[in-house]
Amino acid sequence: MIYIKRIFTVIMFTLGLAGLLIGSSYIFLPKSNGLNSGIEEFKANGILGEKENSIDVLFIGDSETYSAFIPLQLWQEKGYTSYNCGTSGQTLDYTEVMLERTFEKQSPKVIVLETNAIYRKFTVKNVLFTKVADYFSVLRYHNRWKTMKLDEINKPAEYTFTDECKGYRLKTLAKPAVKDNSYMSPTDKILPVEKINRQSVEKIKKLCDENGAKLIFVSTPSTKNWNYMRHNGIAALAKDLECEYIDLNLLTSEVPVDWKSDTVDKGDHMNYFGAKKVTSFLAEYLENTALLTDKRGNPDYENWDKALDAFNKMLSEQHI
Amino acid sequence: MFSITTYFSAEALLLLLVTVVLYACLPQKARRYVLLLSSYIFFFSISGKLLAFLLFSTLSVHHIGLWLSTVQNECSISTKGLERDKRKALNAVYQKKQRRIMTFACILHIGLLVLLKYTPFFSQNINALLGLLGLQFRIPVPKFLIPIGISFYTLQAVAYLFDVYRKKIPADKNLLRLALFMSFFPQLMEGPICRYSDTAEALYEAPKMRYDNFVLGAQRILFGVMKKLVIADRLNLLIQNVYGEPTKYDGFVIALSAVGYTFQLYADFSGTMDLVIGAAQMFGINLPENFKRPFFSTTISEFWKRWHITLGTWFKDYIFFPVSMSKPMKKLTTKARKKLGNHYGPLIAGSVSLFCVWFCNGLWHGAGWNYIFFGMYHFLLILSGNITEPVVVKITQKLKINRSAFPYRCVQIIRTFILVCFGEMFFRQESLKLGFKMFGKIFTDFTLKTLKDGSFFKFGLDRHDYLIIIVSAALLFIIGILQEKGICIRSSIAKKNIAVQFAIFYALILFIIIFGAYGAGYVPLDPIYAGF
Repeated sequence: MIYIKRIFTVIMFTLGLAGLLIGSSYIFLPKSNGLNSGIEEFKANGILGEKENSIDVLFIGDSETYSAFIPLQLWQEKGYTSYNCGTSGQTLDYTEVMLERTFEKQSPKVIVLETNAIYRKFTVKNVLFTKVADYFSVLRYHNRWKTMKLDEINKPAEYTFTDECKGYRLKTLAKPAVKDNSYMSPTDKILPVEKINRQSVEKIKKLCDENGAKLIFVSTPSTKNWNYMRHNGIAALAKDLECEYIDLNLLTSEVPVDWKSDTVDKGDHMNYFGAKKVTSFLAEYLENTALLTDKRGNPDYENWDKALDAFNKMLSEQHI
Repeated sequence: MFSITTYFSAEALLLLLVTVVLYACLPQKARRYVLLLSSYIFFFSISGKLLAFLLFSTLSVHHIGLWLSTVQNECSISTKGLERDKRKALNAVYQKKQRRIMTFACILHIGLLVLLKYTPFFSQNINALLGLLGLQFRIPVPKFLIPIGISFYTLQAVAYLFDVYRKKIPADKNLLRLALFMSFFPQLMEGPICRYSDTAEALYEAPKMRYDNFVLGAQRILFGVMKKLVIADRLNLLIQNVYGEPTKYDGFVIALSAVGYTFQLYADFSGTMDLVIGAAQMFGINLPENFKRPFFSTTISEFWKRWHITLGTWFKDYIFFPVSMSKPMKKLTTKARKKLGNHYGPLIAGSVSLFCVWFCNGLWHGAGWNYIFFGMYHFLLILSGNITEPVVVKITQKLKINRSAFPYRCVQIIRTFILVCFGEMFFRQESLKLGFKMFGKIFTDFTLKTLKDGSFFKFGLDRHDYLIIIVSAALLFIIGILQEKGICIRSSIAKKNIAVQFAIFYALILFIIIFGAYGAGYVPLDPIYAGF
């Protein structure tokens, strides 16, 4: 009898705790997705404010991603709608979460995964935390107690904000790279992808397949982060998963990066000028896939023209 | 790979959970093996193959203990029925033999600790000295991997051997019991430093898990997690910045960081001890307390009876008393007593012992001049306290000040706290030079400018962070006062009905989840004492 009583006590305690966590998660969940809403990575999460099923292409990965792909340039050149969900130091467990969130509201036909994230280390613990925090958002947003207002508590969540650059982060500064193209000296050596990372990429591939999206691996130019061993590792992975792989570090004539003027931080990330070249190449590539249609002139996408005007104004203000 | 970094990592808590479940389900004989296996898994997940060092220490302690016991038995058999003089002579022979064994044991265990932990420090200093002498010759500076908890389990091993040598306890023939004593995983990384007589039997007995022990243990663990996540990890944002580049900050910020670091160290270490003692309590094992509200201390001497208690008692029992009771010290005391009287006479020999204790205490904390300075700082404070005590008593008597009155004790508490904060400032700052710069800045560059212009809230912690630290400190303070008054809060809670108990648990859990410094933007503090 005493054991039954104790088991009952434990069950009641656990249920009560779960209830509290759900309740506090509702309270702490940001009620909007803008700059001061408290939402994490508000620029990347701007995709939640995009019109339903309006995005054709999703760029995802770490800082290499938000530095190298310009969604509004893609719109300008080909009329494809895209969003850049790159975040600093993004690991694949978070990539999975971002993709799941995106697929709830959007049906992109192409997912571009920047490959630097594939080599970013993470642990089972990170995965667990990310998953649990997805159910109990108080774990992710607990720090909002600092900024929360009382009237927010009962408000329903309305995500209407979208980033003016569609997730791209404009940087115009140029700091020349120390290395030149010699960082891609050919070798047969392979830098293997960690088991946990590989499993995550497999999940991402499955998620894309289930949602009818084509997954493409793209390695953006970076003298600091990329080399031939990594290229070989990703090429092998892409072959195994039957994904397309584009390594822009090798396509030096198609994407002629000038390492003196096209990088913001000595070869680590692209600046606007480098990103422009990367995006132009990708625009042509996407056109050749014939998966996407030109939406320019479509009245449903007028706001993209407005966003492009604002972006161009931003560029002209910076004398570009 | 399963890798544990701190007691507060998910992996460590998972290991604890699995061990608790297995312990609860298995029969008594298997439970002790579960504890030992978990302990070795715990050690291996932190230090890997260096587990060999722990196994070696366990085996050698077991063997040396038995060796001592054999000699002691031989001695009692051989001296049985002998005349007094012959018995005395034979006793001396056996005593000499035992001393040789103990010397060998100390060289083996302390020597290993010194070799792994201090050789690089000594080599660097010898090289610096050679450089100063203008010599080109340099000795190599070795780099060793140090097994986790070596400073803790070595002291336990040495204490066990001395206790056997002093015939306080019999040598243990049971290797399993000794292995459990040496490696019990909750206390392996940061103590408390247990005595064989405190824990070995209980560990071996592996008592049946009891519901009330489990609940009390869980309560204590949660309290420890609160201290670590809400206070220690949050303060880390300020401490890292200020101690990283102290010259950038004015005296006010440095003074506040010194207070903050002392509080952080307390929250980290005592929080860990709450987790450790709580985890052991779940298994029905009572570990000794390591903290007894140290910030209520009126003197430095008292502070060290309330802070890291098990280390203090270890030094008292195995360094202070043996040095004080040694023949040369006894002679010195007798001579000094005649010349200087009953207070100052014994103080000379006591000071020599005190010096040994604090030199070792400083070095035990780490191989660095800042730690030696820390030890010497406390030695001087305690020594000066001892020297001035009769003068202070006389002055207060003349001024008719009641030394046990509340205001006087408050002043003493504040004075002690300030002195402790200064000591911890040097302790935290790896460079002694920078430590002195920080100390100087508190007096020469003290300004409230950063507080007035608001920049103070941009050095890592904002207003909200300070608020939550103050609230948590107030909570600890109130709990401390109640405990000082002899009120046992956990027992009081346990007597309440289940709904109230649930509410308290929920409140504590929510407090940790909401106000804990974890997730994006926070860098968890590495376990400070695990590095010692």
